[in-house]
Amino acid sequence: MMFYCLLVFHLAIVLIAPIFSMGLINRVKSLWAGRRGPRLNQTWFDLVRLLHKTPVYSVTTSWIFPIAPLVILATTITASLLSPIVPGFAPLGFRGDFVAFAYILGLGKLFLMLGALDTGSAFEGMGASREATYSALAEPALLLGLGTLAWASGSQSFQDLVMPDGSWFNDIALRILIGVALMVVLLIESSRVPADDPCTHLELTMVHEVMILDHSGPELAIVQYASAMKMTMFAGIVASILNPFSANSGPLSIVLAVICSVVLISAIAIFVGLIESVTARLRFRALPLFTMSAFIAVLLALVVTAGNQGVSP
Amino acid sequence: MYFLLLGVITLLVGAVLTVVLPNNRVRVAVNLASQAIACCLILTETMPILFGGTALSTVLEWSYPIEKINLRVDALGAYFLTFSLPMTFLGSLYAVGYLAHDIRGPRHVGLHFALLSMLQFSYLIIYTVQNAFAFLVGWEIAALSAWLLVIWDHRNQKIRFAGFNYLVSTHLGLLFLVSAIMIMHGETNSFQFLDFQEFLRRPSIQRNIAFVLLMTSFGLKSAFFPFHSWLPRAHSAAPAHVSALMSGVIHKAGLFGMLKFILMVGKPDLWMGWYLIGVSVVSAFMGVLYTISQRDIKRLLGYSSTENVGIAGIGFGMGCLGLATDQPVLTALGFGGGILHIVNHALFKCLLFYGAGAIYRFTHTIDLEKLGGLSKVMRWTAPLFLLGSFASAALPPFNGFLSEFILYLGLLQPIPELGSGRAPLLLVIGLLALVGGLSALSITRAYGLIFLGVPRDPHYVDPKAKENPYMIAPMVIHLIGILVIGFVPAMGLRLVEAPTQMFLQLSTAPDTHLSEHVPVSLVQSLTLISAVFGAILAGLLILRFAVLPRCDRRHVTWGCGYTAANARMQYTGSSFSHPMVTVFWDILTYLTREDLPKNVFPKDGHYDTHCVDSVEQSMFKLLSDGESVVTRIMRRIPEDTRFSCGLGLASLVLWVMLISLR
Repeated sequence: MMFYCLLVFHLAIVLIAPIFSMGLINRVKSLWAGRRGPRLNQTWFDLVRLLHKTPVYSVTTSWIFPIAPLVILATTITASLLSPIVPGFAPLGFRGDFVAFAYILGLGKLFLMLGALDTGSAFEGMGASREATYSALAEPALLLGLGTLAWASGSQSFQDLVMPDGSWFNDIALRILIGVALMVVLLIESSRVPADDPCTHLELTMVHEVMILDHSGPELAIVQYASAMKMTMFAGIVASILNPFSANSGPLSIVLAVICSVVLISAIAIFVGLIESVTARLRFRALPLFTMSAFIAVLLALVVTAGNQGVSP
Repeated sequence: MYFLLLGVITLLVGAVLTVVLPNNRVRVAVNLASQAIACCLILTETMPILFGGTALSTVLEWSYPIEKINLRVDALGAYFLTFSLPMTFLGSLYAVGYLAHDIRGPRHVGLHFALLSMLQFSYLIIYTVQNAFAFLVGWEIAALSAWLLVIWDHRNQKIRFAGFNYLVSTHLGLLFLVSAIMIMHGETNSFQFLDFQEFLRRPSIQRNIAFVLLMTSFGLKSAFFPFHSWLPRAHSAAPAHVSALMSGVIHKAGLFGMLKFILMVGKPDLWMGWYLIGVSVVSAFMGVLYTISQRDIKRLLGYSSTENVGIAGIGFGMGCLGLATDQPVLTALGFGGGILHIVNHALFKCLLFYGAGAIYRFTHTIDLEKLGGLSKVMRWTAPLFLLGSFASAALPPFNGFLSEFILYLGLLQPIPELGSGRAPLLLVIGLLALVGGLSALSITRAYGLIFLGVPRDPHYVDPKAKENPYMIAPMVIHLIGILVIGFVPAMGLRLVEAPTQMFLQLSTAPDTHLSEHVPVSLVQSLTLISAVFGAILAGLLILRFAVLPRCDRRHVTWGCGYTAANARMQYTGSSFSHPMVTVFWDILTYLTREDLPKNVFPKDGHYDTHCVDSVEQSMFKLLSDGESVVTRIMRRIPEDTRFSCGLGLASLVLWVMLISLR
């Protein structure tokens, strides 16, 4: 019974929250700029409008182009089923599932890039090249961070990783360090400021948006929805790492954990909106250093964990 | 055993007939038939052993100096034979398509095919004999036949150079192997592997030296970094099927050697495991780093071999750590993942090389910067190459992911004996993730530039060219292998069960079964993921193409307002890898040739960049600057002997003597 309740909650967050988290980000940006801003569910209407349009493909494209958005969405949904939103619960869980999580997302990214290259446009090639570079540099931080959690928690399944069993100091240090690292990964992977600017209008400066320049109608809607879903998924992971409650104890704890996660995801969306309001996108040259910051946070977490595990005999 | 010997005889008779018969068509037909018969005969022997049967062994009486050769087909040998033989046969089948022009022409192609048979023969020697002398003979037959196969187009000076480069490198490796064998022979006064085993099981300095020498030699054979410099040249020079076989099959002998001697060592020291992991990690990283900046498809694939043997080597290193610390789970995951990666790599790498060969036959170039848009004309090769690339980037649900997943599980396995000394293994996770990201970049770049967009240089697309079924069939068969292992991981695990068992038995009771430590359920969840992903994708496909509006008109690609865009303005390979190259600028070596337009009335200019191998570059530099380096060092030694210098020299000699006498 509890399992099904959590499952419904998980699916609801995965499928619906992307719309509202986008709305929240846009609302924060508007308020900051002194405007009223669109409705919180405006993204929904945008997507529906796009889904009704007839797409136009480029004459250069092959069969990859119409397939790519669907693969991207399918990989994102599959990855969301593997990742926790509430600590201790993910619909699909097995040993080493976070490795599968990272690689399935990789498959989606690959199709995004191939779809961009399929149009033969120099701008889209540029976007694909940047996406390939920065996401490859963010990958070690993601997997090493989760691997460190696995060592600290003595578990190898994504849903249980997020409950370290060390002393409270180690526990808090670990949560904060990995949380910071994954927050950086979130900004890079979901193409937000300062890694990328979703609102820019100059093709030369974009990463994600330039890859989908030639997508229109349903294709555009699917890619944008998948992108929002990816951001919410990473927000869910960060939320479950910072969440002090877990789904493995009594019903009260579960309810608290669920509420806490929803609040944390909203807070992350607001935080992303605030970053976008107050900072500009980093120069591309500085981006590798930005990814490096996530890696260093993870290395610190590794040192904390190694120290906690005792000196080698 | 009789079937095996019968297979050998068939192979050799076939090889002789291939050379002496008249008419190329007959030669090729006889050769393929003999190879097919030999493969079937030998596989009837090896398959039962691979799936749990007892090992076969026999003794051949021979003349001085070997006297008797012990033959033994154990699970490990059976594993290597089971994939090497059919894959070489498929390579020969591919050659029929690839060399179609020569087969029709006046050139004697029999020799080329006979050499392929000789390769098969050399595997049978390497993977079965238990005698160092015979092992070396097999090693040499493989090296020489591979060399002769590489220089098929020997009229081209570049190809001859690549061939000699390969020949010299492979014999450098032989030097290490011979010195290791000499050490072991000196200690045991025998050439039998059984006696070697007795020596290698006892910890001693000589054993450690022999271990390092052996691993260096086998590393050179399998193109571990920094012994890979022969590889990109040889792979780009050889005919596509030879590159494929070299990368996927022939050089797996190096990995076999590693495994074989680890088995002989029995319980390795801890440092051996760390040494293997260190070497392999560097290989995996450097190999993939070079793939991102290559212009030549076959060079790119060659460097990717260095990456993949590195990944397999990480598994072997982990297995050694598991043996050293008595962790059967780690042993099983390390060796299991590493051994499985060998076959996985062979499957997708051969497929990709065959694809590269098909591209070459279609366009007469393998330069990425000149290709483009081929997916519209190469209807078969394009999807095959794409799926092979996915496997090569270790993406689920393809076979490359399975072996990497098992390795990740091994890296995550807790080792209480090591305490916080386990941290380096976690760093390996980070590095493997980076390797995965980089290989995703390089295969996107390769596929995107070759097959997507429009041709960058239209005159390279031959309007009359067609895809040859002899070249497509082997690719399809390899793809089936990739998909079966990828979608049914239990099959893959079953394949490596018996060889992994051999390693497991080194540390635990002989009747311990692999499944006690690595349950199949561990990887079966991957089938679940594939199924979930497939179901979601199918649902979305139906939704998209049945419900949502479909495309009814096409338009030119959005040029951001610029209307005179042409094919040359597409993104190029160098520009695609540029952001990543700038990150690793200090490690990569670039050669730039430029003649920029100058003055008021400029003439034609050009600008060329090539990523060259830094190891090879520094090797040549050392050779050319060698004299000045020696002079500089010698100048530091004063002419009239001083006290400190003499004392230093004397103590050095003393130390060397002390170490060697211990």
